[in-house]
Amino acid sequence: MFIHNVNPSIKAITIIVSVFLLALVFDPITPLCFVIWIWILTIGVAKIHWKKYLVYFSPFFIFALGMFWTNVMFANEPNNPADVITLFGREFPTEDVNTALALSLRILSFTSLSLLFLLTTNIVHFILSLMQQCKLPPKLAYGILAGYRFLPMMKDELVLIHAAHRVRGVNRAKTMKEAFQQYKRFAIPLLASAIRKAERTAIAMESKGFTGSRDRTFYRQFTIGPKDWLFLVMMLGMLLIFITVSWQLGYLKWYSGEF
Amino acid sequence: MSKWRLKEVIVMAALSVVFGVVYLAFLPVGGILVGFMGPIGYEPIFGIWFIVSIIAAYIIRKPGAAFISETIAATIEVMIGNALGPILILIGMIQGIGAEAVFAATRWKIYSLWVLMLAGMGSAVTSFIWGMFQNGYLAFAPGYILTMFSIRLISGALIAGVLGKILSDALAKTGVLSSFALGKEYKKRKKAA
Repeated sequence: MFIHNVNPSIKAITIIVSVFLLALVFDPITPLCFVIWIWILTIGVAKIHWKKYLVYFSPFFIFALGMFWTNVMFANEPNNPADVITLFGREFPTEDVNTALALSLRILSFTSLSLLFLLTTNIVHFILSLMQQCKLPPKLAYGILAGYRFLPMMKDELVLIHAAHRVRGVNRAKTMKEAFQQYKRFAIPLLASAIRKAERTAIAMESKGFTGSRDRTFYRQFTIGPKDWLFLVMMLGMLLIFITVSWQLGYLKWYSGEF
Repeated sequence: MSKWRLKEVIVMAALSVVFGVVYLAFLPVGGILVGFMGPIGYEPIFGIWFIVSIIAAYIIRKPGAAFISETIAATIEVMIGNALGPILILIGMIQGIGAEAVFAATRWKIYSLWVLMLAGMGSAVTSFIWGMFQNGYLAFAPGYILTMFSIRLISGALIAGVLGKILSDALAKTGVLSSFALGKEYKKRKKAA
């Protein structure tokens, strides 16, 4: 449960820095190694069930495939048109295929990093940690948490609005125009009730003594310890190793966007 | 943040929650379009992802509303579960900055339709710059990039700017915004008429 227990802010920062580093390099090898490394971490170390993981991952796999396809089809003129690779019974310039691979693997690497965060982090803890470690104003942090608690209520509200429409004999939309009007009929009451609820919540918070001042104590305290720094160093260290390997193999290019 | 009333903060958070859900619901829509058309598939509906900036800024009319609301909506998306993960918060900030910059240029005073449309386009500009960096759009042919960018600009102006204004005005008519800047403006207009 090592990854679950890393300080949420440090975990988020590690992932954002990794994404930046990954976005700077442009080759198929670095993201490929990194994706495999993250999978090992997520499934092996964090013990996320592979079936659950697959469900989350597959839409992005499809997006990456789409990216690959577009890049092969709409690529810029290659520098070496003679150098070709045969894919699905058609010839494509090797350069374009490499670029397309690099781009789609990049997306997969971002996705697997994000899933690592999502599947191992309690989101309420993340907000609390942002407030304690990253100086997020308490007004905003508790505002977000309150807003987050509205979500299940909004589901009920939607059912209620739907029932109210049915009682008044509103039929299902058949044409595009009707569908648009129906969206508006749902959106406005839903937003209005959300605003009313928010106002009431704000009044309740104030009446219970919430001032939004930074000078306050916390029931759940988050700290940064050696294990958090270990996680940061481990992740960035592995990424640098992969970049070095790719450079040694002669694949590495800095992302410059010329091609 | 100290100049904000708690009420405004919570209402902004509530709006962001609603639109965080809407944003998530539109991801698969974009996914389907992308499946058919390639990465350009996201562009026609891209404006939907800027709409909360416009609505929050138009209703609350305080410096930071566009930026913070978009950031919260992105955070909510992360909280509900989005495979883009915490980087989405950064993307939300980048989109928010684009709209905020336009409002800042009017010194947070003018909220006409044109300004709202420009704010939507502002988000389109900053988000596109980020997209070039993150998804490597520069590898595409220049004509393709230009087409993508123009469609995103139009989508930002129409879906975020125009639709955002329509929704907020409809909300103001219900009276729930009576203690916010937009609601007060409505009351004044009613008295005058």
